[in-house]
Amino acid sequence: MIIRVAGGEVVDPVNGFPGKRDVWIKDGFIIEKPVSKRADKTYEVSGCVVMAGAIDIHSHIGGGNVNTARLLLPEQHAAHLKRPLHTPLANAGWSTFNTGCLYAQMGFTTVVEPAMSPTNALHTHMELADIPIIDKATLAILGNDDFLLSMIRDNASSAMIDDYVAWTVSTARSLGVKVINAGAAAAFKENIRSFALDDVIPSYGVTSRKIVETLQSAVGRLGIPHPLHVHANNLGIAGNAATAAETIRASQGQPIHLAHLQFYGYGTEGKRGFSSEAARLADLVNNTENVTIDVGQVMFGQTVTISSDVTRQYSGMRTASPKKSILFDGDGNGGGIVPYRYRKDYYGSLQWAVGLELFLLINDPWRVFFTTDHPNGAPFTAYPELFELLMRRDVRHAKMEELDHSALELTTLASISREYTLEEVAVMTRAAPAKLLGLDDRGHLGPGAIADIAVYRKGQDVQKMFRDAALVFKNGDLVVEDGVVTHYRWGKTMHLNPPLDKAIIKRMQAYHEDRYGLSLDWFTFSDSAICRETPFAEVACKS
Amino acid sequence: MVAWIGSQTVPLPAAIEQVAKLLAKSRCPVFSIESDVHGTRSLIALAERVGATYDHVNGRNLLHEVALHTDIGGFFATATEVRRRADLVIIVGDIPAAHHDLLSSLASTAADLTSSSRRRWLRIKGKASTALGDPVRRVKAVEVGSSDFAIDAVLASLRAILAGRKASAPLANVDSFLSEMASARFPVFVFSHLNDPASLGMLQGMLADINRARRATALFLPSDDDAWGMVLASAWMTGFPPRTGFSTGSPIHDPWLCDIERMIAEGEADLHLFVSERDEARPSKRSRVPTIALVRSERPAAGALVTVRIGKAGLDHDGVVYSSRIGTLRSVAASVPSALPSISNIVGQLQHALQEEGLPS
Repeated sequence: MIIRVAGGEVVDPVNGFPGKRDVWIKDGFIIEKPVSKRADKTYEVSGCVVMAGAIDIHSHIGGGNVNTARLLLPEQHAAHLKRPLHTPLANAGWSTFNTGCLYAQMGFTTVVEPAMSPTNALHTHMELADIPIIDKATLAILGNDDFLLSMIRDNASSAMIDDYVAWTVSTARSLGVKVINAGAAAAFKENIRSFALDDVIPSYGVTSRKIVETLQSAVGRLGIPHPLHVHANNLGIAGNAATAAETIRASQGQPIHLAHLQFYGYGTEGKRGFSSEAARLADLVNNTENVTIDVGQVMFGQTVTISSDVTRQYSGMRTASPKKSILFDGDGNGGGIVPYRYRKDYYGSLQWAVGLELFLLINDPWRVFFTTDHPNGAPFTAYPELFELLMRRDVRHAKMEELDHSALELTTLASISREYTLEEVAVMTRAAPAKLLGLDDRGHLGPGAIADIAVYRKGQDVQKMFRDAALVFKNGDLVVEDGVVTHYRWGKTMHLNPPLDKAIIKRMQAYHEDRYGLSLDWFTFSDSAICRETPFAEVACKS
Repeated sequence: MVAWIGSQTVPLPAAIEQVAKLLAKSRCPVFSIESDVHGTRSLIALAERVGATYDHVNGRNLLHEVALHTDIGGFFATATEVRRRADLVIIVGDIPAAHHDLLSSLASTAADLTSSSRRRWLRIKGKASTALGDPVRRVKAVEVGSSDFAIDAVLASLRAILAGRKASAPLANVDSFLSEMASARFPVFVFSHLNDPASLGMLQGMLADINRARRATALFLPSDDDAWGMVLASAWMTGFPPRTGFSTGSPIHDPWLCDIERMIAEGEADLHLFVSERDEARPSKRSRVPTIALVRSERPAAGALVTVRIGKAGLDHDGVVYSSRIGTLRSVAASVPSALPSISNIVGQLQHALQEEGLPS
């Protein structure tokens, strides 16, 4: 069947300037205008903006820690039902079912869960398989696991490390590698409470810097398209902008992605010793071409922080709201689930402003990514409000009036007049993430791309425009009409299968039998274990 | 033959058709579930479709374990990490026999990720504690506590003593407890089937106190691994643990309202779908609510309107289960593959049949 999406204003930065044109779909893919110029079905979308389906590169939507957060906070999920919007997590997107629906309603068609513990991969993929409509992917966490740390300590060859990273990515069905406060979870088990880039894990004699460098090199050598995804040290601590800057310098010109940079934009000035270093950090990113970042914007209200940075989460337990939390010592990685309410006080106002400063002061939308680090900075359902803050300075300035002025005075936000254009939004949320993840088949509307298309009614109300897409197509299926899901389907989870020496499998078998007294098949699984037809789609590594 | 209507043997499609009719007609169906994760997923999806309330077959045993996670939280670790790092293991109360293999595995190995590799053992006991099981006896755990006090009181006293406060309850081997705790690098409290909120709260309070200056954690061993698998699947599918229902169309979690035993006893339920892959499990004969049984049985379940014989994950067919040995889900292959249908297979046929039956508006 040939479908024509007719008369819309197409915003497709990969394939040219914005302008009115038709988009044609056949068998789930975008095609050139057919010679016959005839469509079996036509959707008139004049007055609408047509973009590729949006891609979220960092949103905690599935896996053990996310599910534990559901268990910890059933009262927050109750707010998920139709209740007034100002109630806690009113639109958090808590269950797998709602996650897929709420993302689709906003025109998002691909979402990456950025923190999958490899030992928990089967659980994570089963959750992701129950998220309808959208495609998914995961990043496997490495950097606190005994096998890797032992190899680094013992000066193992690059080939051995590459094989281990490749084996992990392959068996965990992930699309890349993430490192979270490298080495800190291992050190925390030895009662070390803070961990900086040059700190050493006592029993391994390995620094955090060395772990990041080792993984960054392995990712590059293996041809994994997405650069090493780094959750740096010292998250949330005043003065940690220096840590972020040092991590950027440590990348030595090699591709690196820094996650939720907002949480690293803090200086020590002011009466409270907590200020914004966003402008200096943005300047550094602007001048360091190999660096990409996502923001992790803070928005106000109730949320829950979910992170494998157990050191950070332990210290956050003091300010848990409501007063309950879970701290988990896992194999290599751990997890902390701490509910939190961002208030319009000094600290909340400063965090909010730091995120916006980064968005607005980093010039290149190809290197700054749109995230709230769901649910850490805010639930992803806050995206429409965030789009409005970026696209309309009058709304931004009106919001600033509600906040703590002494905090905002320590930021540059009031002086920034930039407004994101629709084309910049399309770059930041479509074209750039596809490029960063190595997903050539999406993020644009050129012939050959999968027909993931979001159609928005253009209007002054930016929030409404991005909250309730007029039409959304996933692989050519019409799934959303007027902001309502009208058709359900199952997406796929994309993963890599990097080449490896088969000797690593024997080595991992011996390791698991020796250290855990269990066969390796306790820790691995076949695709059929997901119990869904073709749950995965393989993506090629770079040659 | 795999299905019966009453005591009459019937082909499976006839039984499916009859079950679909009963489900379509029911105004307040309830599901008791005991299956692997795939079976649970399919049954929760069916419950949503027919507006049913669901719980685990042994939901009563899950109540406090779920409440620990929903109301308190705490410090936890995986058994694999405990095996490699715990230099002091403190068993709290009794550990069910299902986890004795795990304890044996801990007893026969030494920690390799800590400088203090010799693993020492304590056991906190209260008046409900039974005689030591085999694995614990083998490691010669030092018994701390008292047979005169309930275990929550023992835990409260130990927490106070650890915090430097006085406690009036006379407990055995408190000095050993204090000295072992002082020297341990990574002490781990192992608990399972603690059926009182006070004990669970006091244990986690003690862990919070210890972690202010040092590290310690807990190994939570669910009283039933399969039931915990159901808790996880229920949480991701609906946002809630079991004792959840779809009577309003959206999931509602309420441990009292959605207590299936209560709903049956008080005449709220008008249809009971009982599902268990365990050999010995049968629906109650005394239930006056019309019952459908999906069970591993070569005979029809007594009193059931319809019985369907099913296979078991990991035995008759492949499946996915929660394993407390690794602290997450595990894929299990069929050890004796058979033609007996899986729960998800039966539910798939039911979903198809319900399209023809239609549901009450």
